[in-house]
Amino acid sequence: MAKPAVRLTVIGAGFAVGLAALAARAAQVQLVDGATYAARATAQRTDSIVLPARRGGLFDRDGVPLATTEDVYHVGLNAKEFRAGRGDVALVARRLGVNEGQVRRALRRPYAHFEGPYPADRVHPLRGVPGVYLETELVRTHPDPDFARLVLGRPAMPGRPASGLERVLDSLLAGTPGRAVVLRDGRGRRYESPARQGAFPVSGHDVYLTLDATIQDIVETALAEAIERLDAAGGDVVVLEPHSGEILALASRGARGAPGTGVFTSVFEPGSTAKVFAAAALLEHQLVEPTDSVYAEAGKWVLPYRTMRDDHEFPRAWMTFAEAIRVSSNIGTVKFAQRLTPAQQYEMLRAFGIGAYTGVEYPAEARGRLPRPDRWSGTTAQSLAIGYELSVTPLHLAQAYAAIASEGVLMRPTLVHRVRDAGGRIVYRHRPEPVRRVVQPATAARLRELLREVVTEGGTGRSAALSTYELAGKTGTARVAGPRGYVPGAHTAVFASLFPAENPQLVMVVKLDSPRGAYAALTAAPLTRSVLEQVLAARTGALDRRPLAVDAPPEAAPAADADDEPAPRHVVAWPPVEEAETAASRRVPNVVGLSLREAAARLHRAGLQVRATGFGTVSGMTPPAGDSVAVGSLVTVRAEGRSP
Amino acid sequence: MAARGRHWLVLWLLFALAMLFWVNARQTASVVLASELRDLRAERMAAEARRAALQRRFREAESRATLIPKAEALGLRLPVDSEIVTLRRPPEER
Repeated sequence: MAKPAVRLTVIGAGFAVGLAALAARAAQVQLVDGATYAARATAQRTDSIVLPARRGGLFDRDGVPLATTEDVYHVGLNAKEFRAGRGDVALVARRLGVNEGQVRRALRRPYAHFEGPYPADRVHPLRGVPGVYLETELVRTHPDPDFARLVLGRPAMPGRPASGLERVLDSLLAGTPGRAVVLRDGRGRRYESPARQGAFPVSGHDVYLTLDATIQDIVETALAEAIERLDAAGGDVVVLEPHSGEILALASRGARGAPGTGVFTSVFEPGSTAKVFAAAALLEHQLVEPTDSVYAEAGKWVLPYRTMRDDHEFPRAWMTFAEAIRVSSNIGTVKFAQRLTPAQQYEMLRAFGIGAYTGVEYPAEARGRLPRPDRWSGTTAQSLAIGYELSVTPLHLAQAYAAIASEGVLMRPTLVHRVRDAGGRIVYRHRPEPVRRVVQPATAARLRELLREVVTEGGTGRSAALSTYELAGKTGTARVAGPRGYVPGAHTAVFASLFPAENPQLVMVVKLDSPRGAYAALTAAPLTRSVLEQVLAARTGALDRRPLAVDAPPEAAPAADADDEPAPRHVVAWPPVEEAETAASRRVPNVVGLSLREAAARLHRAGLQVRATGFGTVSGMTPPAGDSVAVGSLVTVRAEGRSP
Repeated sequence: MAARGRHWLVLWLLFALAMLFWVNARQTASVVLASELRDLRAERMAAEARRAALQRRFREAESRATLIPKAEALGLRLPVDSEIVTLRRPPEER
C-alpha cells in the first residue's frame, strides 16, 4: 500500500491528465474544428429557403390584364391540432367547397391534404385556425384563357417548354428569386427569424403589349363567325398600326374551333394582293403611267409556256394600268410587268420584306419564299407579278401594305409596347423602327390611289367599301399548292386593306383558307368591312378619331395651355432622327382639382384617352401627373363632390 | 475603494441588464412586426385574388361572345358604318 502522499500525487496527476485531456479536447473542438461544428449547428437549427419571384404580367396596350401571376394555396389539416368541436369543420368545409362529412373523414387520418388549388381570398379566413396549414404556390392565370392564346403562349412547366411571348420575354418576366433563413426546432418545425434576413425576391417586369384587347376581341369573334359561316378550313387576321409597326390584333383559327397555324408561320401564295408590288416597281422606275394601256386579249392570253386568264373578261379591248389593278387583271398586270428587268422585280419584292424575317418578337416565324433571279424559270417573272411562285405570311403582307400606308417606309412589326419594372418605372418603350425606304412618298401616294380604286364601283374590293369612310385595298384569290401541284378546288382568299384611304391608321390583312364562295371579293372583303364597322363602333384608343370626324378642319389649333404640348404626329421621319423618336411619349398633365369636363378636354389635347369615374371635381388620376406615357394611353380620372 | 468597486460592479450589471432588455425588446418588436407584415401580405394576396376574380368576370361580361347574343335577344344589332358619325367638338369647348 503506497503512502498517502504518493496516493495523493497519483490522484492529482490523474486529475491533471484528465483536465489536460479535457482542455486539449475543448481546444480541438473550439479552435481546430470550431468552424465546422458551428456550421453544422447552424445547419441543424436554420434552413435556407428559396423565395420564388412573382412573374411579371402581360397586359394589352391600355393595361387590360392578359396574363398575371396569383398566389394559390393547398390546404393541410393536422388532426391532432385541429379542434373539431368549435365550428371549424363547417368553416373549413365552406371555404374548401366540400361538405362537412368529407372534412370529418379526412380528419380520421393524422394529416389530411386538400390539393385545391384555392385562391387566396377563399382560404384567407382559415389563417389562424389551429391545425390548418396553408401551402402557397404562384401560378399563371389568364382572365380569358382563349384570348390571343397562340401569341401569349404559356410559361414552362415540368415536361412542357414555354411557348409564345412567355418564352421570348422570359428573361424580362421571370424576376429574381429571393432567399430567406428560417429557424428550425428539433422536430423540424420552421420559425421566421427576423434577425436573419436573406434577400427579398424581385418580381419580374410587367410587359404591355401592342395588342388592343377590344380590337383583338372583335377580330377573334368575327374570324370565328366567318370561318363557320363560309365553311372555311381556317383563317388568319392581322391588324397593324402602319406608322409604328405596332400589331393591334392578330387571330388565327382552324375549322371547328381548332387553333390556327398563326399569322407568323402560316405561309401562302399571295395571289393578286402581290400585284401592287409589281405596280410599285413600275411606278418607282417610271416605267408606266396610270393611263398607259395594254390589249386585254378578251380574257385569255396564250403564251409560249402557259395560258393566262382573267376571271372576269374586261369589257373593253384595251385596259389602262390603273384598270388592270382595279379589276385585278392577270393579263394586264403581266403585260405591264414585262417592262421590268428581273433585278428590278426581285429587288422591289425583297425591299417590301418578302422572303425575309420581319423580326417580330415571337419564337417561330416563317421567312416565306422568294426565288433569286438566277433560279427563275421562263415563267417566274409572270408568276411573281400575279403573286405566285413566292410565299408570304399574313404578317409579311401586312408589313408590306403598311409601307405603302407610311409614305413608303417599311417598319419592323412589334408586339411589345412598353415594359415596366417591379417599381412601376418604364424601362423600355417601343419607338418605331424603320427598316428601309421601299419607295418614294410620291410612289406610295400613287399606290394608295390605285388601291383606293379597287374599293370603288367596278373594283374587285367593292364589297369591303364603307359608306362613310374611304378604304383602300386589294383582293387576292390564289390556288393552294400541295405536294403534287395545286390542290383542286382549294383557294386562299385574301384582302389587304388600308383604313382610311387618306392618312391610313390601320392596315388589315384577312386571309381565309378555302372558304365557300372562293373569291376574296365575296369572302375576305366583307369580313374586312364587318371588322372595320365594329372597330368604328367600339371604344378603342387605337383609332385617332379626329381625322375621321365630320367637318374636321385640317389642322385646327386648340387654345393651348401652358403645360400643353403640340398635337402628336404619328409620322416617322426618314432617315430616323431623335426628334421623331421622342414624339411618341407625352407627359400627363395635372388635372386634379378641375371639373371632369375641363380635365377630359385637357387630357384629350395632350393626345391621351380618358376614362372617368364619379362626378364633380377630379380628386385623383392614374397614371399620376408628370408621368411619361405613350400617345393615346388611357388615363383614369376619379371625380367626387360637386363641380367648382 | 472597495465600496467604489462594488458600485462599478452594480453599474456594469445594470448596464448589461439594460442591454439585455433592449435586445429582447427589439427582438420582440421584430417578431410582432414580422407577424403583422405576414398578415398584411396575406390580406393583400386575398385582395389581389379578389381583384383577379373580378377582372375575369369583367372580361367575360364585356366580351363579344357574351354581349352580342344578349344584344341580339333584345333586338339590337351592330351599327353599320353609315350609322356611326364622329363629331368634332366645337372649338369653344376645347
